[in-house]
Amino acid sequence: MSVAIQVWDLPLRIFHWLLALAVLSAVVTGEIGGSLIDWHGRIGVLILGLLVFRLVWGFVGTSHARFTNFFPTPAKIKAYLKGHWKGHGHNPLGALSVLALLAVLFTLVGAGLFANDDIAFEGPLFPLVSKSLSDKLSAIHYYGFNVLAVLLFLHIAAIVFYAKVKKHNLVIPMITGRKIVPKDQAIEVSKFGIRRFVVALSISVFVAWGVESGVQYLSPAKAAPAVVQSW
Amino acid sequence: MKSKLAIALLISAVSTAAFAGAAEDLQVKFRQSAYSFAAWNASKIKSQTIDHPETFNKDQVIAAANAIAAVANSGLAALYGPGTDQATGWKKSRLKPEFFQKQDEVKKVATEFNQAANELQKVAATGDIGAIKTQFGKVGEACKNCHDSFRTKDDK
Repeated sequence: MSVAIQVWDLPLRIFHWLLALAVLSAVVTGEIGGSLIDWHGRIGVLILGLLVFRLVWGFVGTSHARFTNFFPTPAKIKAYLKGHWKGHGHNPLGALSVLALLAVLFTLVGAGLFANDDIAFEGPLFPLVSKSLSDKLSAIHYYGFNVLAVLLFLHIAAIVFYAKVKKHNLVIPMITGRKIVPKDQAIEVSKFGIRRFVVALSISVFVAWGVESGVQYLSPAKAAPAVVQSW
Repeated sequence: MKSKLAIALLISAVSTAAFAGAAEDLQVKFRQSAYSFAAWNASKIKSQTIDHPETFNKDQVIAAANAIAAVANSGLAALYGPGTDQATGWKKSRLKPEFFQKQDEVKKVATEFNQAANELQKVAATGDIGAIKTQFGKVGEACKNCHDSFRTKDDK
């Protein structure tokens, strides 16, 4: 007997699909450049907000969202590879992939906030660092994308592998939140706390707003447009 | 006599070493200056049309567009002599060595930049902020095309 249980809470699913859409848009706008580079920057700030939300949600979200519940220890990975893992959320290998993706995205966004393209674009925190440091961070931002591309390839390849070989659809649960499991293993996750959600959302909005608009308070002289003289 | 010859040889050896690549370094210095000056003017156009359109000043935008076009039309190709990928101006050049093997592509991206800059100059003269923004984006794309093909992403 199999039953459908809730595995991914709604905020987590919205986070996932918004992040996928935002990363795709960031790649496209970054590749085209021109006028779209400003959108690349704005999308980067949105991604920062999403990542901060996920970080907080990893402590206050429902059980499968919490880092402590899926943190992949070597013992867990070993057990999983031997086929002894019986959980419903991120399996230990998937958890490695999740943490790597989050770390690389944080690095890309973090570097991008200080980056410049030597044309007419500067990240929102560019005024806080020297030009040569900004150039180094721009290179990290650029080359770091290759690491992200590899991880995204593995992420999608794993989903295809699960669907084709293990006959396990991972995409539908990420849309509906529900997964079909044997009845004797059915452990429903609790409903997410709305107050906790508001706290997580507030923190992420505050951080995103802070980097987008807060630099003028940290470095007012550099952020103000220059006054142009008549000569 | 022998010691004088030795001194003369030493002086010529040292001066040759000191001036080796001086012409190349100067070319890199000039071109880095040219693009920095263009970037400064680009930042003014961006500030007055995109980031703070309330500060739009037609004359200043025209002046900035004229300056970018002047840089583009100044004959920058003369600053890309052989060996300048290894030379140092204000800092080490980030020119990729393949610049010298792909001259057809170089000509293509360089011509695109010139045309985009000339068009920006024309559009700026009309004072139409929307049109300036659009053409400004095209100049940025032209910059990016060359950077993507012929400029390393970090210091060599």
